[in-house]
Amino acid sequence: MNPSSYFLKEADFDSFVEGMMKTAPVFAPVAKKNWFVFSPISSPKEVRLDYDLTILPPKKAIFPVRQDLVAFGPEGAESALKPEPRILFGVHFYDIKAIDMLDLLFRENNVDWNYLAQRESTTIVGSNIQKVAKRAFWATVGKGVKPHGHDAFITKVLGGYVFDVLTPKGEKLLASGKFKPATPAQVEEAAKINTEIMDKCPEKLTHGSHEIAAKVRATFKSKLWDELSHTCFSCGTCNIVCPTCYCFDVQDNWNLDQASGQRARAWDGCLLEDFAKVSLGAGACENFREHRGQRYRHRLMRKAAYLNDKLGGPACVGCGRCSTQCVPDIADPVRIIETIMES
Amino acid sequence: MSTVAQTLSGPQPNIFMPRVAEIVRAKQVTATEKHFTLKMKDGQPMTFEPGQMLEVSVFGFGEIPIGYASSPTRTQTFDIVVRKVGRVSSAIAALEQGQSLYVRGPLGHGFPLDKLRGHDILIVAGGIGLCPTRSLINYILDRRSEFNKFTLFFGVKTPQEQLFLEDLALWRKSTDVAYYETVDRADQSWKGNVGVITTLFKKVSIDPGTRVIICGPPVMYKFVIAELDGIGVPRSNIYVDLERRMKCGIGKCGHCQINDKYVCLDGPVFCYKDIENLEEAFR
Repeated sequence: MNPSSYFLKEADFDSFVEGMMKTAPVFAPVAKKNWFVFSPISSPKEVRLDYDLTILPPKKAIFPVRQDLVAFGPEGAESALKPEPRILFGVHFYDIKAIDMLDLLFRENNVDWNYLAQRESTTIVGSNIQKVAKRAFWATVGKGVKPHGHDAFITKVLGGYVFDVLTPKGEKLLASGKFKPATPAQVEEAAKINTEIMDKCPEKLTHGSHEIAAKVRATFKSKLWDELSHTCFSCGTCNIVCPTCYCFDVQDNWNLDQASGQRARAWDGCLLEDFAKVSLGAGACENFREHRGQRYRHRLMRKAAYLNDKLGGPACVGCGRCSTQCVPDIADPVRIIETIMES
Repeated sequence: MSTVAQTLSGPQPNIFMPRVAEIVRAKQVTATEKHFTLKMKDGQPMTFEPGQMLEVSVFGFGEIPIGYASSPTRTQTFDIVVRKVGRVSSAIAALEQGQSLYVRGPLGHGFPLDKLRGHDILIVAGGIGLCPTRSLINYILDRRSEFNKFTLFFGVKTPQEQLFLEDLALWRKSTDVAYYETVDRADQSWKGNVGVITTLFKKVSIDPGTRVIICGPPVMYKFVIAELDGIGVPRSNIYVDLERRMKCGIGKCGHCQINDKYVCLDGPVFCYKDIENLEEAFR
């Protein structure tokens, strides 16, 4: 489907969001203290398209922090797969790229409908970046990988918004608002805004993806990993805030009746100490990534090298969440990669 | 990348949904290991290849990955052996004949039978590494004419840790397999070889063209591979069956990764040549 562009007046924005809310729950960026989060909204006034970065990536609307997989009880078990229609509104392009990567990773080899069913029930509306996060580097990471898989894209322009429809799901949203065809000047203005923002990133990678992947992979045995991870707490924050991390744990939980419960998955992180640990019995264990340097290295290998062939580029989109939220500030991929490239 | 929309419509099977297996026989075989013979409740045969595995669970406790311990040539039932070490394995080990448990499988890639047929075979099994290899051992014995000389090494720490005692008694007498066994530490009852598993290489001549399968505790691999290097067995003819924390079994959850490989998906059986340069494969 060829994209077609529409214009929405500033004054009609709230009624558009209200219209969408009548068709499905809408998840959008909202303010939370001095941060932003993606959250189900109850009023169009909550929507903050001027956000710079959300604490957690919007993947949580599709791949929740905790998700029931199977419900069990005395009579047996049944699938807990229950997708619901959902509109994920106001997603920046780097997070769209990340969701597109997860789409591929959950679909390849063994199709995991526990992710894909909710993904298919979700309509994704991208939005232009109005404010740049202080550790962002999305302009220089994985430049060959374009945002893909979203249904529409909204760009703030003078006096309103340009709304690009990209899929039939996106086209359905037109019924929720007072759209007019965009003028060539409005389309041009939106394109200019989305192009110019690419020069505004505070952090930059100075090498291309292939070069980085090869050098990072070749440094596997370097002492750098132990040095760089020296102050790592193994807290897993870098994993939890990452839009492309998708590792999870599977646990059974009992209900209060002690007769029924759920088998559920929850986000997990390879930086956590017991991520690769297996029990050998009699209190003994084997931890295949025992040292924090090994775990710290594994994350960066996954982001910069291991998945590149599958994804067409690195499994990093440059959002800067890990850089911002790492307590000892050692998770920034730009600093790690630049250090490696100079080594 | 293709769009998710392309996979729209049609059934959406839940890959985490397990099936019920009934316990036909349960036998405590060592202080910590219990041997279960299972049958699918829906009456469907369990089709798998030696070396593949399944996720076994008791609801309310969780799932663990376990290799098939029986040969697919024996189709009525299938076997697993559970070592009681944690919450899930203890819950499974508490089950008895007539009860049931849940399974998901077969999962992963097993032993490459096409590359083993027509060749000499050596299987090196340490401890409960005999469980997944028993699937292949009995497969070879059931289709003996498809394979050449068949040698089996089995090592355990103490005689009390030997498993499948009825099988061992058969193999000791069998002319279909040259069976050699050892214990790290003997007791008064033990009349056989004492020493680590590599001491068995002195007992028999292994042809460099032999296809070798290794399954045992992580520490065992490098010593066995050093012996095979000495004999001149090419690394492309060595297959290793590896263990990791395989939580989902379908190549998603990430726990079992060795560098960029997923043990549950690309393995658990790997050609040694394919992973010898992976830094995280061996210690």
